Amino acid sequence: MTADIEIRNVSKQFGAMSVLEDLSLSIKAREFVVFLGPSGCGKSTLLRMIAGLETVDSGEIAINDQRIDHLPPGKRGIAMVFQSYALYPHMTVRDNMAFGLQNIGISRQIIDARINEASRILEMPHLLDRKPGQLSGGQRQRVAIGRAIVKEPKAFLFDEPLSNLDAALRTRTRIELAQLHQRLQSTMIFVTHDQVEAMTLADRIVVMNNRKIEQIGSPMEIYDRPATKFVAGFVGAPAMNFVDATLDRSGGNTKVKFAGGISVQTEIASNLLADSNYTFGIRSEDVRVVPAGHGDADGVVDVLERLGERTLIYARLGDGLQIVGSDVGNSSVTVGHKVGLAFDGKKSHLFSEAGRAWHAGEA
Amino acid sequence: MSITAIKGRAFGDRVLLALVILLSIVMIAPVLWVIGLSLKENAELMANPNSVFHAPYTLRNYVNTVGTSSVFLWVGNSIIVSGGLTLGTLILSSLAGYGFARLNFPGRDVLFVIVLFGLAVPEQAVLVARHQIFSILKFHNTYPGLILPGLSASFGVFLMTQYFKAIPKELDEAAMLDNASRFRIFWKVLLPLTVPAQATLGIFTFLGAWNDYLWPLISATNKEMYTLTVGMASTQTNFAQSEGIGFLMAQAVFAGAPILIVYLFFQKYIVTAVSGAAVR
Repeated sequence: MTADIEIRNVSKQFGAMSVLEDLSLSIKAREFVVFLGPSGCGKSTLLRMIAGLETVDSGEIAINDQRIDHLPPGKRGIAMVFQSYALYPHMTVRDNMAFGLQNIGISRQIIDARINEASRILEMPHLLDRKPGQLSGGQRQRVAIGRAIVKEPKAFLFDEPLSNLDAALRTRTRIELAQLHQRLQSTMIFVTHDQVEAMTLADRIVVMNNRKIEQIGSPMEIYDRPATKFVAGFVGAPAMNFVDATLDRSGGNTKVKFAGGISVQTEIASNLLADSNYTFGIRSEDVRVVPAGHGDADGVVDVLERLGERTLIYARLGDGLQIVGSDVGNSSVTVGHKVGLAFDGKKSHLFSEAGRAWHAGEA
Repeated sequence: MSITAIKGRAFGDRVLLALVILLSIVMIAPVLWVIGLSLKENAELMANPNSVFHAPYTLRNYVNTVGTSSVFLWVGNSIIVSGGLTLGTLILSSLAGYGFARLNFPGRDVLFVIVLFGLAVPEQAVLVARHQIFSILKFHNTYPGLILPGLSASFGVFLMTQYFKAIPKELDEAAMLDNASRFRIFWKVLLPLTVPAQATLGIFTFLGAWNDYLWPLISATNKEMYTLTVGMASTQTNFAQSEGIGFLMAQAVFAGAPILIVYLFFQKYIVTAVSGAAVR
């Protein structure tokens, strides 16, 4: 079973504080959508509104063209996995999974069959007679997912379900979730503030900030063509380099100049831009480290971060500005070294004060 | 850890153990004294109370208690009153605690404060008024008359409210998504999680009711309605008390047995309750 989910002009206030403003979103059946944003951006509230755990102040939410925002949570046909798992501590794993089905009067035989199937999928038949207190964090996580699966819901909602797991288990569970989605072909909505989870799991990412949606797009759209400076800075690690810049629009493509007389030739058409203040943006992997004097700018290395397959170089330019560049994994650069930085204009971005973005190569 | 430190610790442990044994003897001595006295002939005790330390011992006092004393009637009354009061308190406190912790209704916080004020009102302050009301309602010398006053349990409501508040709301929400009704969430999900608090409250309520003397003394004037405390006291006021000390102690053993059984069953919870660890 799967479902289209339609959110139309939804707003939400807690007392005098607005947490979501006039938000609209369409989620297609079988899609894996991730709500990504910093703490307090309203992503969990939106998820809870879909679940029915928060009321909708204005606007509407529909599943398969049927309004559900007036229905109680149990009547919406959705299942949710909580950050804390919210397993019933006094019930065995089997009873945890059966509880929701008993409440809607499903026969014992069908309940048993569904529990057996779910526990087989999640490789946990040996856990069925244990209580949550006897399980590890990862096992609890599985049970929480199993409890959702047995309900055969129209959509699965996940509220930061991986944040209580250690790093290794988080990676493994992430892969398992992706496999589960492929297997079940259900609509899934996943809330996280972790961009790696968002990038790896999502068909589409909804980036939220400050009560609003900043951008909706596929992971690579979001990464390569961020709609706003916020998205550009939030998605990607390390964060995109930002430099206040002035523009030279005399040629066909824009030349960017920033402090210290540094200039970079971008592939952003001059006629798209107006005379105004812009921020130049470029990702660390698009700033190559070259010998001093051979790049667009020279800087002194402040910090090195060796990631294995590449090395991040934090270089300080003459005017004090820090730029993060990228070198090969076994880079010979050391802290205090003077290096050159070559900016790849074909991968550059410009952001206006009004919040618009332009990307190299855009027509 | 060095060997000296281990030795030092072992010595400290031994001192602690000796102290615990000593305190245990002090605590258990009166109980053993009661049992010892109950196994002696009344006449022998009257002649020399120290005769408890040597034979002969007899079960005659127990036989007499079974045959002639009203102690079983009083124990029965105490069980009905204490049990009824405990059950009622647990039901009311759980429902009220859930309400205060989970439901939003106008005046909730004010009402909770009013309930807490109940903790500050001593029983003696309302005794006369309560006596008059119960007289009008003809509740004296009835089980409801003995049980009802104890049901206004501010402490129980407070304890259960705090306990329900400590249960994560995600459990309610998960159950809501599992299509459970509000009552089913209360009954199947939350209430089982409050068992430690229920046990704490139940034990304190039961012990309090079992040992209560003042209100049963006022309300139960009919011998048939005496609770154990009042009944035992009525025996003590007998002029022949000094002659019947062994018999009295045999009654005391019977009287103490139910509470000992309660303790044996619930000792885990009693320890938790007394140490204050029951409230998370």
